[in-house]
Amino acid sequence: MKKETVIKFYLTYRLYLFPVAIAISSLILIFLIIIPQLGKLISNQKAEKALVNNLKFLEVKAQTLDSYDSNDLSNKVSYVLASFPQDKDFGNVIGLIQNLTIQSGFSLTTMTISTATNKTANAQSYSIELEVVGPKNLISILLSNIERSTRLMRVGSIEIRNTISQQTVNISLSLDVLFAPTPASFGSIDSTLPDLSQKDQELLTTLAKNFTPVFTSENVSLPSRGKANPFE
Amino acid sequence: MKIAINLLPIEFTQAEVKRAKFIKIQTIGVLVILVMVFLSSLSVALRILQSQSIKSVQIQVSATEQKISDLKDKQVSLLLIKNRLAVINQYLGNSSKQVAMLILLDKLLPSSISINSTVVDINGEISILALIPDSQALDNMINNLTDNTQNEGKISQVSLDSLSRGKDGVYRVSLKIKPS
Repeated sequence: MKKETVIKFYLTYRLYLFPVAIAISSLILIFLIIIPQLGKLISNQKAEKALVNNLKFLEVKAQTLDSYDSNDLSNKVSYVLASFPQDKDFGNVIGLIQNLTIQSGFSLTTMTISTATNKTANAQSYSIELEVVGPKNLISILLSNIERSTRLMRVGSIEIRNTISQQTVNISLSLDVLFAPTPASFGSIDSTLPDLSQKDQELLTTLAKNFTPVFTSENVSLPSRGKANPFE
Repeated sequence: MKIAINLLPIEFTQAEVKRAKFIKIQTIGVLVILVMVFLSSLSVALRILQSQSIKSVQIQVSATEQKISDLKDKQVSLLLIKNRLAVINQYLGNSSKQVAMLILLDKLLPSSISINSTVVDINGEISILALIPDSQALDNMINNLTDNTQNEGKISQVSLDSLSRGKDGVYRVSLKIKPS
């Protein structure tokens, strides 16, 4: 009885009921499937593009890193660390200053090293007070040799006093010897690689020419002395 | 001459028109549904293809990241070199203010002047104790130090702290020179 009523109702109003049913079904498909899928398609397309760009960048970075020679890089690291070390290198600097004063025609009378650390914008320093004696006309050579030394040093204050002979002078020099601890972070996987410019390469060549290895307790192996077993 | 007479009842004619109209609506409706189903399937298929493509790119990214991780030592070395070179480049071969002022002073002072002591402090300020043989040499020295063309604009102030003339006619001068 009920089924017959429904069929009769449908047959009477099917001209309106059928289009309404089609419209409702279409709207359901549009709002529940087509629009969400298209939205995700568009947003994922952007994500895919970013991912592909990232991949290209990483591939170029990997190729660039691969092209560097490990030995060459470690040599260059030694050059820059010899010039601008990560810690106070008193032993190395004492030898260097002795050489520089002798090369400049002066003789070193006293040297006082301060262990206190001063901070500048991009480096730290410790100071060395020098007393040297030498010819008056070689002062500029001494100062130039100190400031052009590949081990970074800056002249702080200068005091020049004439001696009785007038041709020789006593010089009190205060030097700031620069160093800086290594940075805490060295970039992430997706950080850009620095490019060594022509100027950097020239500077590295200059450093390499004047490079003398810095000996520390870590890289010097002392020969063993005496017998391995003293009771033999 | 042909005469067409419709003998069918009016209700039957109306029912036939309604039926034809319904068939038309039914056809259009079925077509709309088919189009909607096609579009839905297409969007789902495209999404599946896109997901597979993204997965494949992600796998390549992971592999490349692993390769870069293996080369991390080189990256660290390179960054350390660049970081140090930036500072080395700033200082190496560039004269400090103090040395530059001392070299300038050496150029400006007449050779007849005898300097007893020179002190250059960390700001580049110079204090001199000098013996000057005559007033001409004293004039020359003051002129050289204060003339902007001679001192290259590097001296901002020259102050005479003390000036005395001995029995021997020699001037004893204490000077302070401030850099620009």
